[in-house]
Amino acid sequence: MILSANELPDGHEIDADICIVGAGAAGIAMALELLDSGLAVVLLESGGLEEDAATQALYEGSVADERLHSPPDRYRQRRFGGSTTIWGGRCMPFDAIDFEARSYLPHSGWPIALDALMPFYPKANGLCEAGEFSYTVQQAFATAPRPMMRGFASTNFSTDTLERFSCPTDFGARYAHKLRAAPRLRVVLHANVTELELDETGRRITGLQVRTLGGRKLSARARQVVLATGGIEVPRLLLASRRRFPGGIGNAHDVVGRYYMCHLAGTIGALHFTGPVSAIHHGYDVSDEGIYCRRRLALLPAAQRRLGLGNFVARLHHPRITDPAHRNAVLSLLFLAKSLIPYEYAKRLHGEDRVGATQWLQHIGNVAARPFDAVAFAWHMLRDRKLAERKFPSIIIRSRANLYSLDFHAEQQPNAHSRVMLDERVDALGVPRVRIDWRYAQGDVETVQQALALLAADIHACGIGRFDYDAATVEAEMTRYGAYGGHHIGTARMGIDPRSSVVDADCRVHGVDNLFIAGAAVFPTSSQANPTLTIVALALRLADRLKTLATAQ
Amino acid sequence: MGVDEFIGRRVALALAASGWAQPVADAAELRGSGIDGIAARTGLAAALDNAEAVVNCVSSGPKAILHAAGALDAAFAGRSRPPLLVHVSSMSVYGGGAGTVDETSALSGELGPYAQAKVDAEALARQQQRHVVLRPGVEYGPGGELWSGRIASWLYARRIGDLGAAGDGICNLVHVDDLAAAALLCLRRPEAMGATFNLAMPDAPTWNEYLVRYARALGAVPVRRITRRRRSLETRLLAPPLKVAQLVLQRAGLDRWLPAPIPPSLLRLAGQEIRLDSTRARTTLGWQCRTLDLGLAETAAYYARPQRVPGSPIRPGAG
Repeated sequence: MILSANELPDGHEIDADICIVGAGAAGIAMALELLDSGLAVVLLESGGLEEDAATQALYEGSVADERLHSPPDRYRQRRFGGSTTIWGGRCMPFDAIDFEARSYLPHSGWPIALDALMPFYPKANGLCEAGEFSYTVQQAFATAPRPMMRGFASTNFSTDTLERFSCPTDFGARYAHKLRAAPRLRVVLHANVTELELDETGRRITGLQVRTLGGRKLSARARQVVLATGGIEVPRLLLASRRRFPGGIGNAHDVVGRYYMCHLAGTIGALHFTGPVSAIHHGYDVSDEGIYCRRRLALLPAAQRRLGLGNFVARLHHPRITDPAHRNAVLSLLFLAKSLIPYEYAKRLHGEDRVGATQWLQHIGNVAARPFDAVAFAWHMLRDRKLAERKFPSIIIRSRANLYSLDFHAEQQPNAHSRVMLDERVDALGVPRVRIDWRYAQGDVETVQQALALLAADIHACGIGRFDYDAATVEAEMTRYGAYGGHHIGTARMGIDPRSSVVDADCRVHGVDNLFIAGAAVFPTSSQANPTLTIVALALRLADRLKTLATAQ
Repeated sequence: MGVDEFIGRRVALALAASGWAQPVADAAELRGSGIDGIAARTGLAAALDNAEAVVNCVSSGPKAILHAAGALDAAFAGRSRPPLLVHVSSMSVYGGGAGTVDETSALSGELGPYAQAKVDAEALARQQQRHVVLRPGVEYGPGGELWSGRIASWLYARRIGDLGAAGDGICNLVHVDDLAAAALLCLRRPEAMGATFNLAMPDAPTWNEYLVRYARALGAVPVRRITRRRRSLETRLLAPPLKVAQLVLQRAGLDRWLPAPIPPSLLRLAGQEIRLDSTRARTTLGWQCRTLDLGLAETAAYYARPQRVPGSPIRPGAG
């Protein structure tokens, strides 16, 4: 059933076998997996079924450098469905190398290998509505679709791995009917967990303080507690629960909130292809199940090891939208319509470039020069994105000049100085707000620099064109829009040693028998991959562990 | 009984091929198949005089179901050793609920006249001295117009596909030949007497999974995501006039040119998370199901589009 904490009497105690805090991708995936377990499960969600400004404001906080990180209440949604309500839908699994301890990547290495997640990835893929778990061209297509760049052959990069796209699925809207119908599950909306309470030994969570914005004070008690509140709220709640330990829960070694990672992303350079326009295919292929799939340039593990680089992928991209010199009606139309595009997407689409009146006029001129292109694009976006339930994932512009930019997405190395901390200010419920000090390291710059250089050399060597970019601008481009929004990783990292990690291989907080973390907070490293699919797979694995634990008990 | 229908036909053919049964049928549909139409010529009561068992597969509508059950009830009356009655019912007798249902679950006719007729017909069957009741789920297979043929045409036309949350219900598939095999097992296993058996494949897929896999087997790809708007359009706006037109044109034999309406009941079923537990049939009868891949391959081979006029409804062929 789904109910609201506002309907419960003041002082009410919510009792369950398993209490999951946060109804986003991880929390809902776990709840679904536990539906048939026979266990009484309660899913506490701060928000309601719709966005609410007062609830969203609970996410507000500060950042150390506004150029490097978006405000904490952006790219996150505090509501049923969590940030899947604004998710872009890109799915891909982590690579085997991502789990390895790599000597050249500080603090790398998971206590589990890819094999541990493989049993859960296919189901996670299903929950994400990304079709079957097939992430290479050979697996996904009976007949191979067109190559990404005809004539490109490289021992350093593969164009055969895929990213698959979810609808994108809003987990709240998609699975509410299942949660509502479940007899042993209660979803309690408007239930803000403000503190975790430990017993005298400090080894068990005895209760959770729950508050509503209307002033109700409730509590929850469960045999097992799971925090699935995202990579920023997880450390916030652990650090703010400092009644027994001044440093918070699971923080005996000052690890909670550290090693905060996003991804390093940017758009750079000019790719000029010399062959026919038809030799380049940078858009989507549709699998038999109707899933949008896209090839990308993936830096192969052998090259990563040889050069000591983090994981890296790149895609062909349209030229910078703000510059009307591209003479493309569609791009100019997107520029002119930027106020209609949500903040989370507009930021990277348009940047914060200053555009003068002359350039505005040039954009209008571009649209006027090719009005049919603009109309066709508008119709495509209306039919295939706005009105469709499985949405066309992004803007794909074929260049008549065979000219593209390169959109890259790279692994950020773990860095203890990159942190989510508590602020001195508190929110409307008295919980300290967060302060985010996201930092990157020279190694991150080198990953992007060397990967780009390698790609430029490979493209040149194949004779299919050239990739021109200014190597001196790589760092500026990879930080132009700051940390990649929405990927909040590593703040309660998984590991064997409590001195350098927060949870163990089962996602259990070191030293606290019944507290678990679900979500990207536990990722020790970030991979090149967008995190949602792995968040869901790991959540399913945790649900499986909790079922086993309940049976044993 | 019911050999002019999908299930009855396959049961009769399976009996004829068994080597130990000599089926007689209530219609002349199977002329040339070695099955006599004795009952049609001489009447039901006379046919029962020489019959060891009756398999009642009549399912074409509430009237026919009740008529057949009533006729059998009357024909069985007064016989000191009546034939064994294998009554093919339906999972619709479990109503619109959710969860796992076994043969002890409560019955309900809440889904409409068809379900009520099935409930009532079962009640009559259970009154017979020697009876077995089968409750199959969604019967698919070559020639199964209801759950295979129509759906194939809708998949080809991209009128149905991935239904999103509306397709999360369990599709309790049972291949028609597996259903026929279960009926034959009931005739030979004494332990089946007096029992009721659910029939559906174990680990049945969701409706979305069934539709996507069936579409892939047919080559009706890429599968389309059907929006809520489209579903409403089909079932609320288009279905009623199409149904009326179908009834009108049927008389002139012109209805084959009409697209088949998608009934609201299909979408209701596709969202129903009811799982038919067939454990009893497997343990008591030793009943086994073919894999979904195999069943879909057979079905898709039968309904493959190149054999059909584009846009026309699919008609069962020779199988």
